[in-house]
Order: sequence, then C-alpha cells, then structure tokens
Amino acid sequence: METTLEDSTAPEAPAVSQPIAQPTPAALVADGVERQLDPRSVALDRKVGWIVAASISFPIFVTVFLLLLLAPILGWVKALMALAWLVITGVLATVAHRYPQVAHRHTFYKVDAQGLQIRRGVFWRIVINVPRSRVQHTDVAQGPLERTHGLGTLVVYTAGTDHAKVSLHGLDHGTALLIRDHLLPGDARDAV
Amino acid sequence: MTPSDDRGDLDDRADHRLHPLSILFEFAAKVRSFALPSVAFLVTAGFAGFAWQLLLLPMTLPYLVAAIARYISFRYRYEPGELVIRTGTLFRNERHIPYSRIQNIDGVQNVAHRLLKVMEVRVETGGGQEAEATMNVLPIADFEEMRRRVFERRQEAPAADGVAEAHPEAPKGRGPLHLLHLPTRELMRLGLIQNRGFVVIAAAVGLLWEMGPMNSFLGSIFDSSGGRGFGVGPPKHAAREAWRSLVSPILDGNWLPAVQGFTMTVAAVLLFLVVVRLVSMVWTVVRLHEFRLTRTGEDLRTEYGLLTRVNATIPLRRIQTLTILEGPLHRLTGRVSVKADTAGGHQEAGQDNDEKPAQREPLAPILRRAELPALLSEVLPGLDLDAVEWQPAPARAFRREIKGWVLAALGSAIPLAVVLRGWVFAALPLLLLWAWMGARGTLAHQAWATTGDAVLYRDGWIWRHLSIAPFEKIQAVTVRESPRDRHAAMARLKVDTAGAGDLSERVEIPYLLKETARELQAMLALQANRNELRW
Repeated sequence: METTLEDSTAPEAPAVSQPIAQPTPAALVADGVERQLDPRSVALDRKVGWIVAASISFPIFVTVFLLLLLAPILGWVKALMALAWLVITGVLATVAHRYPQVAHRHTFYKVDAQGLQIRRGVFWRIVINVPRSRVQHTDVAQGPLERTHGLGTLVVYTAGTDHAKVSLHGLDHGTALLIRDHLLPGDARDAV
Repeated sequence: MTPSDDRGDLDDRADHRLHPLSILFEFAAKVRSFALPSVAFLVTAGFAGFAWQLLLLPMTLPYLVAAIARYISFRYRYEPGELVIRTGTLFRNERHIPYSRIQNIDGVQNVAHRLLKVMEVRVETGGGQEAEATMNVLPIADFEEMRRRVFERRQEAPAADGVAEAHPEAPKGRGPLHLLHLPTRELMRLGLIQNRGFVVIAAAVGLLWEMGPMNSFLGSIFDSSGGRGFGVGPPKHAAREAWRSLVSPILDGNWLPAVQGFTMTVAAVLLFLVVVRLVSMVWTVVRLHEFRLTRTGEDLRTEYGLLTRVNATIPLRRIQTLTILEGPLHRLTGRVSVKADTAGGHQEAGQDNDEKPAQREPLAPILRRAELPALLSEVLPGLDLDAVEWQPAPARAFRREIKGWVLAALGSAIPLAVVLRGWVFAALPLLLLWAWMGARGTLAHQAWATTGDAVLYRDGWIWRHLSIAPFEKIQAVTVRESPRDRHAAMARLKVDTAGAGDLSERVEIPYLLKETARELQAMLALQANRNELRW
C-alpha cells in the first residue's frame, strides 16, 4: 500500500517542493518514510497514565478507607469493597503500563512533499492526511513532562471543520521543529 | 462606470461613517433586548398601570449615550487592499479586513430600515462564528458601493497574480445574469415541502409567552389545579389518561365509542397538520418573497423577503461544498433544493430568521429538476451530473447496513410494546420489512464518484442528498476503520472542508473497500495539493 502511494506522489513532488529544493534540514525530514514516534514517548505516556490512574484510584481509596473505619458495614461487604478497590487499581495500573506501548506500535507519521500523514488507533484506526498547501499555521508545544523527556507536540491547523486542529504528540522536539519548518507555507503561490 | 471613476475610487481613502439613523436603530435594538424581559418581569410581578414604563425611561439613557458614541466613533475606509474599520471611544479598535478574505457581504432591511431607506450590512470572513463587521445602518447606496469596491478589487488581485479564473465561459460583463426567480406559486410549493410551520408556531407561542398576553390565559389554565379544564394533574398524567380512554375500549372489546373517538382524534391531528402546512406556506412566501438568484461577475447574489429584505452576496469561489437535497415531496413535484456552504460565519440551524439574518438561505430553495444542470454549470463549471460514473457500495455492505436498521426497528418496537402489548408481534414483521426496505433503498442510492475536479457523494433513502466538494476546497482527508470495518476489510473516508454544515451534508463515504479507501485518500490529498486553495 505504501509503495503505491509513493508511486503516485513521486511525479508530483518536484513541482510542489521547488521552493525548498535545496537540501535544508527541514527537507530531510520530508522523505516520505513512515516513521514511528520517539520511543521516549512510551515512558512519558506511562508516567501520564500513572498520574491519571493514581488520581482515580486515590479518591476511591480514601472513600473506601473512611467507610471501612466509620460505617457500620458487614465484614464481607468490607472485604468486597477493599477487593473492588484492588481490582480497579490493578486494571488501571496495567492499562497505564501496557497501553502506551501498544499505542506506540500503532502510531505512524509520514512527511513528504505532499504534506503530513498520521496513522494511529488501536481499535478504531484512523489515517489523517493533511495536504501541505492546506496548513494554515503550526504550533510546537512542550509541556513540563515533555520537556524532561525532550519531546514535543506538533499541532497543525487547517481551515477545515472537523480537523481544524491535528496534533501529533510524542515527537522528538527537534523533529517536531523540523516538520514544522517543512510544513510552513514558504510558498508564495498559496497565499490565500 | 467609467475608468476614471474607478481610479477615483482607488485614491479615495476618506473616512466613511454610518448613517445618522444608526443612533436610532442601535438604541432601539438595545432597548428591545433590555425591555422585553423587564416588561415580562414587571407584568408577572403584578405591576399595574403605566408607572413602570416611566420608571424604565431613565434606565435606557446609558444606551442612548452608547448609541450616540458608537455613531460618532464608527469610521470605515477603503484602503487599496483592505477594509479598515475603527470603533470605540475609550477603548479604540481598528480592524483591518483584507478584501481577499471577505467571504460574503450581506445587507438586511427590516420594515423600519426600508421605510427609512437604510440597511444593516454584515461583512463576513472565514473565521469565527459571527460577522466580522456589522454596520448598523448604512444608506443603501453605500452598501452597493461597498459590494462593488470589495468584490471588484478582490477580482483584480488574482488577475494580477496571473492566476486565471477557472471559468472561461463566465460573463465578464457587469450585467447580472438571472439564474433563478421564485414566483409566489413556487414559494407556496416550497412552504408545503419544507414544512417549517412547527417552527413558526413554536416561535409565536414563545413570543406571546414573553410578551405577557398569554400570561392571563395560561394562568387560568395552570392555576386551576382544582381539577377543571386542562388542569388535570401533570400533563404526562393527562396524556396517559387520554390515551387509555382511547385505547382501553379497543382492548376491552367495546369498539363503537372507541372508533368514534379515534376518528375524532385522527381528524384533529390531520386538521392540525394541514394548518401547520398552511402556516409554513404563508411563512415561506413572506420570508422569501420575490426570491432572486443572480450572477454578477464572479459573485452570486440572492435577494428575498417581503418584510425583511435580505441581500446576500456569495463569491462563487467561496463555495466550499454544494449539496443537492431531495425529499419525498420534492420527488413528487419534480423539484430539488440546492445549498451552498461557505466558510463564512455559521449559525446554528433552526434559529429564527428575522433575528439572525446571517443564517444563509439555500442557493436555490426550490428548483425544477430540469433546471439543475444549468444552475450547476454556473456554480461549478465543468460538472455534468449525468456524465458522472457512480461507484456503488460493495454488495456485502448490505449485511452491515441492515443490522443498524433491524436494531432501529427492534428499538422502536419496545415503546410500541408498552402501548400495543401483545399486538406488537403483529407489528414486528412490518417493522422488519421497513428495515429491509430501508437498508436496500439506502444502499441502492448510496454511491461516490470523482470527476476531474471534485469528489461527489450521495446518500439517503427517502430524504436524499448529494454533496459535491471541489478538490481545491479539501482541507484534510481521513480514513477511519472501526473494529467492524476491519472485520469486513472496509473503511470510511471523510473529506473535511471549511465551514462544513450539517453532518448529513458532508462528503463522508462509508463501506469503502480498504484498498479503495487508501487509494482514494492518496488521490484526494494529491489533488488538493495540486489545486491551490483560493479563499
């Protein structure tokens, strides 16, 4: 599939990429190769997952603990409540630990002269294709956690309705900047 | 228009102002929005006499001052490439709107505006939910001038860039080309088809409620909680009572009174529906009186309204998607309705038209089927619907489509079971037949196609629509695979454009074979890139 896609785009490439014909770093990233996200993003997503899991699990723990202490409940109900908390926490922790890796295996991006293509989704899969000439503006955002991992989030804005904002998180910050430079409309013709 | 006049325009950067009557209209608008709730409040609070009206007067003074200040401070001028609007006295604001970004210029005249020969003008660009500039009010001549200046200059710009317009057969002359005129007869037909009577009646009831006259009337209904009139307990209970009195005799075997009651009810419902249709017809005739669609150069202009006269301009190349709608009554009368989505401010559907004139009427609210090709060739040159090669959904899509219909049929059987009890099993085959017909009908009509410069998708069983998205308007293309899609090796392709309206009017193609979807996605993205977006 990817090869036929390449074939169809290849003859078109020179016409569109002319303004960046010289091999700038930004052009190097636009090689049309389908890439995975930075492996460090798995570690980052796990941390985020743990934080989310903890923020769900902790209030439940407090509630259960207070109920066990104060409420006049039968012994086996107490045991059941404690067990429920353990199961919920266990499931959350497992998902938080495992899911980022699975998601990483299913996320790809591709930058070429035509634009940006993002493929992701574990159960519901989606391929988003944003033509380069439709990029209105781009952001590269970096949160505090992302900064410690050297990662960044690329946000591409189009004039569309449902995909007015397409974001790709888990990129190496430098790569995100390069893709941004590539997608920036340096082309005078598509002045809208 | 002599050339020297044009040159004179270019040099003229003088400030323009609003019409002095703006003070009046601005004040009236503010007072109305403030007075209506307070009147309602005072009436319900039990104020008698006219004293409260005098009390309100000083409270409106700030609005008067604000209206005067706005009139004095509001200036606009035509720069070579942009429209510049200055507002504000304390907090000054200068807004620059490049001509090339202006999507539409609409003029709206309600009865008062028309008597005083002024107009409310709205300038819309692609961004945001509301008009970028609202000029309340301008003399009519100034509106014409703005239209001329903005759109003429915008046309000059691309020509200078050497980007040829894609409409070789376009009449370059200034004379407007009449595309559609709807006489009263046709408007009545439209009212019948559209059936917006419910909206009108609901709005009228709401207004009466707010104004007060209903209060005493409704009060007499609702206060009589003692058990007279309609006031038999909560409405839900009353409805159940009515239904039981209607149905239980049938179930008990006591037919005659039941049949009588049933006929009465059916007659009442029919009468109500007829009245609703009539209201809809009158409403449509008033709202769209003398609807005209003309083409002036590269702009489409619509003009309509008996009381509130609306004058809307849509540049041809601002049309993002075009949708052709067709309901059962449309087909019966051989008509279609054509809608054009622009990227201009989008109003929520169903809002009252008098208050929100920015809600755009369809390009052609009603059109003879035979006249469709002529209109399409004006709006999207080079598109011939008859020559389009439609790609139907694959045969195995039926198995997936019918599941949804059967679920809907079974879902609607549950409330029926409450009412019909055992009889629901008699209704079940009918429901399943409906599901089968629905799935078949939907798939029979569902198809997609690409032409040299657009992607087309049609859908629907009884209410059909056909959407056309030109390649140059495509913003992004997505292919989705749900778990069920993956099981069937299918995918759903969606074309995203600016200002896409209703969900049902987008180009979103389900049941594509996975390979087809990927190829189509690559092709559309490539075409989008090749056809530069021209706002």
